[in-house]
Amino acid sequence: MLRSFIEFFSFSDPNVVYVVVGTLLIGASSSIVGCFTVLRKRSLVGDAIAHAVLPGVCLAFLLHGEKDPLILLLGAFISGWISIIVIDLIVENTRIKTDAALGIVLSVFFGLGILLLTHIQKTGNASQSGLDSFLFGKAASIVGADLYTFGAVAVLLMVAVFAFFREFTLISFDPNYAQSIGMPVKWYQLVLSSLTVLAVTVGIQAVGVVLMAALLITPAVAARFWTHRLWLMIVLAALIGAIANVSGAFISYAAPRMPTGPWIIVVLTFLAMFSMFFAPQRGFLSKWRKARSSKARIFEENVLKLLYQLEEKDGNKKVDRSIQEMLKRRDWKHSEVKAALKRLDRRALVTGQSENWRLSQEGRMEGQRIVRIHRLWELYLTTVMKVAPDHVHETAEVMEHIINPPLEKKLMRLLNKPERDPHDSPIPYAEDDI
Amino acid sequence: MIKRVDNSILEVHDLTVSYHNKPVLWNIDFDLPSGIVAGIIGPNGAGKSTLIKSIMGLISPDQGYTKIFGQPLNEIRSRVSYVPQRESVDWDFPASAMDVVLMGRYSERGFWGRYNDEDRKIAKQSLEQVDMLPFANRQISQLSGGQQQRVFLARALAQQADIYFMDEPFAGVDAATEASILNLLREMSHSGKTMIVVHHDLQSAYDYFDWMILLNRRLIAVGPKADVFTDELIQETYGGNLSILATLGNIMQQKDYPK
Repeated sequence: MLRSFIEFFSFSDPNVVYVVVGTLLIGASSSIVGCFTVLRKRSLVGDAIAHAVLPGVCLAFLLHGEKDPLILLLGAFISGWISIIVIDLIVENTRIKTDAALGIVLSVFFGLGILLLTHIQKTGNASQSGLDSFLFGKAASIVGADLYTFGAVAVLLMVAVFAFFREFTLISFDPNYAQSIGMPVKWYQLVLSSLTVLAVTVGIQAVGVVLMAALLITPAVAARFWTHRLWLMIVLAALIGAIANVSGAFISYAAPRMPTGPWIIVVLTFLAMFSMFFAPQRGFLSKWRKARSSKARIFEENVLKLLYQLEEKDGNKKVDRSIQEMLKRRDWKHSEVKAALKRLDRRALVTGQSENWRLSQEGRMEGQRIVRIHRLWELYLTTVMKVAPDHVHETAEVMEHIINPPLEKKLMRLLNKPERDPHDSPIPYAEDDI
Repeated sequence: MIKRVDNSILEVHDLTVSYHNKPVLWNIDFDLPSGIVAGIIGPNGAGKSTLIKSIMGLISPDQGYTKIFGQPLNEIRSRVSYVPQRESVDWDFPASAMDVVLMGRYSERGFWGRYNDEDRKIAKQSLEQVDMLPFANRQISQLSGGQQQRVFLARALAQQADIYFMDEPFAGVDAATEASILNLLREMSHSGKTMIVVHHDLQSAYDYFDWMILLNRRLIAVGPKADVFTDELIQETYGGNLSILATLGNIMQQKDYPK
């Protein structure tokens, strides 16, 4: 394995250079075009096109009799194009909706393609061998002249996306507005659809028709996790697509019997999963961390609130409260209370040690603030929103952690700085003697 | 009550519009003077959005035409600006507020041009006009609904047009956005621009607009609000006096009546 790795990436074999450059360009260009497919919510159209190019490839071979890459590409392009038109015609002229139209076109075209492929294989034409690699892709078969064809198409795709960047952005984000400023929206959509068909026709060299949709869509979806900027999303998608394709090419070089396509998709899926979990802000891990830290904050606030209520009850600020005493009042776990108190200690909101704690001056202010918001909100619910007093406690438990100082001030002004909440408990204010 | 205007800037002539063979607007015919804030008022399904979409050329009418400044839309597009409904786009699109507002400069630059410093300056001014400059670099999905609406308005402003069509800018916005939009409408109309706004809330309509276009599939009234906002005309707009038009529309849809 290591030997093939060194062999492969030392580029000592000129064929390897072809394969690497070819798959790299194919991966990058399909992913770039795929960004707009995803942003226009046309991912499944990509899948339908990919399956629909197979009969085109087979017909081109039957008519021409040889495996000329340019002719096969042309056949693929034409039948991909026809599939788009058929989808649009079905949606416009029948009651069939887009999803069903996609399903119909995908299966009918693909079925026809398989039929033709089987027929070709039975004719025993010597030059047909390898035609079935269009099903699952065979990156390692990119040699010599093929590279120039695929390379040229890939470069064309990248240049086109660069040249039409603002136009594609506009029609993808807001086609109505684009039309209102007089842009030929239909025309640009046509260009973008053609580029998608073209991306599919070169992409199937690497992954095959069955898995092509993944090469179009997955890099864009993965890249979206990392950035809010469109151009950066496109660059990242290109990178992800290129990495996956070159890895697939290597695997198919090291193990010639392995189909390339599935391996490329495995690598892509891994990169997408990685993005989904580990991307900052949008990734699951970061969301989970945020949720955990706000849960911890809410718990700390509840501990401060309880300590304040205990002081309020017996009027004694100079005595430690044991964790046991707190647990009598709340359904909490001993360990979580202890952990929260230690965190509060670090922020100097409580003082004490192990089992016995009391509020510091700052902690008292904070506990008082939570109690105040809780009671203000209960009063707001009963007086302004006319909610029954026995129904207000639960929502106030939530709101006390959400309402910020400006809102609190607004609430206080609206209620005219009230003295007592609906349950006749006093509402404590900061300037009161504490 | 259809007030005729001498030197109109918008002329809608006998416009009939259908969706899937079902007519939703019947023989709409009116004109508007410049420098006003006009509200297109009517109940749900009255065809308010359809009216401005067909004026903007997004839907082609069965019959009739529209002229702006005496010319067909294609001749004077640069003087006309459109604000679609906020819900009509996916706000999770990877773009900042600034990116969206710069789209308003596209028609000025065209395919061969690039956005330059002047465009960025105009985009910033437009954001400033709707109190959104501090959010210029914010990703649009992180903005509140009202802020997104203001970004849409800023994009229209960046076009520096003379007549603005806005589709429900007040729908579901917060108080700050409402105040900001109202302020903008007043300022723009004082500087001679014409603002035409689709609005569904009858309660606030009288405070917001100078002129009103009362619409419910047909045109009920057009004119200064004092003349138009009468019990009788409102009743005609919102009361169900349309059974004939509605039934006819349904028949035409079912029979695939040729256009």
